[in-house]
Amino acid sequence: MEGLAPFLQNLSGGLLIGGIYALIGVGLSLIFGVMRVINFAHGEFVMLGMYLAIVLFVQLGLDPYVSLLIAAPAGFLVGMVVQRLVIARLVDIPGDSTLLVTLGLGLVISNVLFLVFGAEPKSIYLPYATRTVMLGGIRLPVAQLIAGGVTLVLITGLWLLLTRTELGRAVRATAQNRLGAELVGIDTPRIHALVFGVGMALAMAAGVILAPLLFAIPTAGASYTLKAFVVTVLGGLGSVPGAIGGGLLLGVVEFMGASYLSSGYRDAYGLFAFLLVLLLRPEGLFGRTVKRV
Amino acid sequence: MPRALEAEGVTVRFGGLVAVNGVSLALDEGAILGLIGPNGAGKSTLFNALTGYVKARGQVSFYGRRVDRLQPYARTRLGMGRTFQIERPFEGLTVLENVLIPAFLRAAGPAEAERVAYAALEQVGLADRALQPSSDLNLARRRRLELAKALAVQPKVLFLDELMAGLNPPALKEMIGFVRSLADSGLAIIMVEHIMEAVTELCEEVIVLAFGEKIAHGTPQVVMNDERVVEAYLGGADE
Amino acid sequence: MTQGPDAPRGAAPAARPPRPSLLASPWPRLALVAAAFAAWYFVFPSALSLGITLMLLAGWATAWDLLGGWTGQASLGHAAFVGLGAYTVGVTAANFDLAPWWAALLAMAAAALLALLWGRLTFGLRGAYFVLSTIAIAEILRLVAINERRLTGGAVGLFIFDLQEPFGLDLFSRHVEFWFSLGYLLLVLVVVALVTRGRLGYQMRAVREDEASAQAAGINPVAVKSWAFVLSAALTALGGCLYGVFLSALQPQPLFELHLSVRIALVAIIGGRGTLFGPLVGAALITLAAELFRTTFAQANLLIYGLLIVLVVLFMPRGIMGELERRVVRRRYAKSARG
Repeated sequence: MEGLAPFLQNLSGGLLIGGIYALIGVGLSLIFGVMRVINFAHGEFVMLGMYLAIVLFVQLGLDPYVSLLIAAPAGFLVGMVVQRLVIARLVDIPGDSTLLVTLGLGLVISNVLFLVFGAEPKSIYLPYATRTVMLGGIRLPVAQLIAGGVTLVLITGLWLLLTRTELGRAVRATAQNRLGAELVGIDTPRIHALVFGVGMALAMAAGVILAPLLFAIPTAGASYTLKAFVVTVLGGLGSVPGAIGGGLLLGVVEFMGASYLSSGYRDAYGLFAFLLVLLLRPEGLFGRTVKRV
Repeated sequence: MPRALEAEGVTVRFGGLVAVNGVSLALDEGAILGLIGPNGAGKSTLFNALTGYVKARGQVSFYGRRVDRLQPYARTRLGMGRTFQIERPFEGLTVLENVLIPAFLRAAGPAEAERVAYAALEQVGLADRALQPSSDLNLARRRRLELAKALAVQPKVLFLDELMAGLNPPALKEMIGFVRSLADSGLAIIMVEHIMEAVTELCEEVIVLAFGEKIAHGTPQVVMNDERVVEAYLGGADE
Repeated sequence: MTQGPDAPRGAAPAARPPRPSLLASPWPRLALVAAAFAAWYFVFPSALSLGITLMLLAGWATAWDLLGGWTGQASLGHAAFVGLGAYTVGVTAANFDLAPWWAALLAMAAAALLALLWGRLTFGLRGAYFVLSTIAIAEILRLVAINERRLTGGAVGLFIFDLQEPFGLDLFSRHVEFWFSLGYLLLVLVVVALVTRGRLGYQMRAVREDEASAQAAGINPVAVKSWAFVLSAALTALGGCLYGVFLSALQPQPLFELHLSVRIALVAIIGGRGTLFGPLVGAALITLAAELFRTTFAQANLLIYGLLIVLVVLFMPRGIMGELERRVVRRRYAKSARG
């Protein structure tokens, strides 16, 4: 029983952070699944969420979990606008144009954040969130628990949206077969804009949730984008439940690796898992679509 | 003497759907085999299976050599050439460069490749447009470019996927004559076609596919009078 | 088959077919480039470092373009090879007192091997996955450089103090480095020119344009991509070796970071992917602009890069040289059609 407690501690830590990774990744996975677009600016939207939470906290004293109510709709609107103005133009051009355009967008956003906020790391200090609770012999940080809870709510909401509503059906139809969806009267450009909006809303929400947990620096967006990709590849591009599984797995792998192997390579464990999955099971651990050319 | 192309029990599955079900065929040098059937019958899928673009069960042999485990490029290298139903020119390149690329396959170097490419272009009548960007061509010329590309690999078996579609009567006559001359020079040709004039004029033998299965096989006259074939095209009375 | 009604009258299929429509021979323009940079040395002797970084960036971008432009497989991890080159020189000099020219060969071999293995494993997958894997690999190398302190000096870094001198030349002199960098740039340009004018070059373009059609032409896409990747990696690593000597102080962050990979790709994209001189033009533009607007650029360089990428991809997808080339090709056809 000696070794079990630390193991469970690591496992729970990994699951909690994994939940947030899942939230970051699920938006990307959704966007790819429906639109076949690789969004390289995803991490920067997460950063936007983080900085928004910080600004609202500092200027208005708003608790970040309240800021969510502002950040998510804002992300949704911005996402729709970006999709209509920029991405929609590139839908039928083959090749890596969308990848490059979103990459460019990401660079612009991160630089704007740098110009506005400077390079110093910023964070939110929530006194109630720095405490920890004991649950069955495991010490859990309150901030992460709340984050995990909110993430659960959001992902459940997304799942309900996709499976229980008319809109969700339309989205899934478009993901499966765009032409077919159009033939039955679905307005696919509108669906694309909505999905991109939802993806960005989720990214910003993830950023808001992360604000009390981590330090925000303008250049961190790229590493979040990479995390989002690792999550989606692990879970299978386009699969929402897969993204959840992928996120949890990533969190656990990182925690376990950092604890039992070398902690300096923490980020590398996820990357190794990512490469392994790419090689052995490119459709992802839970995905269905075939990736091999 | 092995036949130019032999296929035995070719089956293609997409998930739960069986697109091609146990189709067999054989083709000789200098012969033209027609593959017809209503839309969605699986003709292009069969083509893709024979040429390697789609995973399939069953055996495919090229002059006695099994090719069903080979990638498409390996089949091309052996001597199986094809056109695509929707033309696939190399967009950013000129007409000549488009044909140079397949010409390099059999050529020792750039000079010989150029010769082979020009020969193919002259065969299809596009030599005067060699330097034109391929994206500027109209449909009929794109079709001819597609054919030139297939000829430049110097195939022994040629797969033509709806080559005649959309051609006006004079162009159609020309193309039919051209395909006849190709077969006369020794190529074995298998063609998917909807244009019946081409089928009756060119094909000694025709296979009819419906719902992925071979439902008839014989000369054009016999096959087109076959009850089952007529029914397949008309969709059947009771649904 | 007849020529068709619109064939130019009396123009027989040319007895001597005109040369394939690549642009005219690149050698004169190459000589011009060499002359221009040689002139730089004499005209701007105080700006040697600028010239060196420009030429190295141009060399990396041209090498990148073999894979990213001619073969259409954009990589966002080429910094991995830059860092590999730099660290190979540094580590072997510090630990084994190895001469830098052997280190360079070693670095090129290591880069080629890495590219070969990694390419074989990922080129069978859809394009997006390859790009992601390049980012992952560069990241992994960066983490290795940070963590393997005994080998690489960790985050603090490694200093190259002492290097053997080829033909008595002091490699730490900016003058010597300038000429070596020019030699490197010319080498890359020559290799790319030779490759792209021949069979492999055409195969690369076929794979870029349409893999299925390329297969129908007897081309093995994975093999072609692998060749492009191996060449690209080795050439980039060679430039990385020079860069390591130029910097003398090697640190993981600037050598392996994503921004370097992005800059290399960006410069090629703006200048024109799939053109011989496009990446050089892009490198010159970006480096000189950064120098001219140094203060504003330093603060907002990512912003400018980002906007440039978006604008180029939306409005000038072929890049500067690419759009120019397109126009020349059309004009040349029009002239030939008029007879």
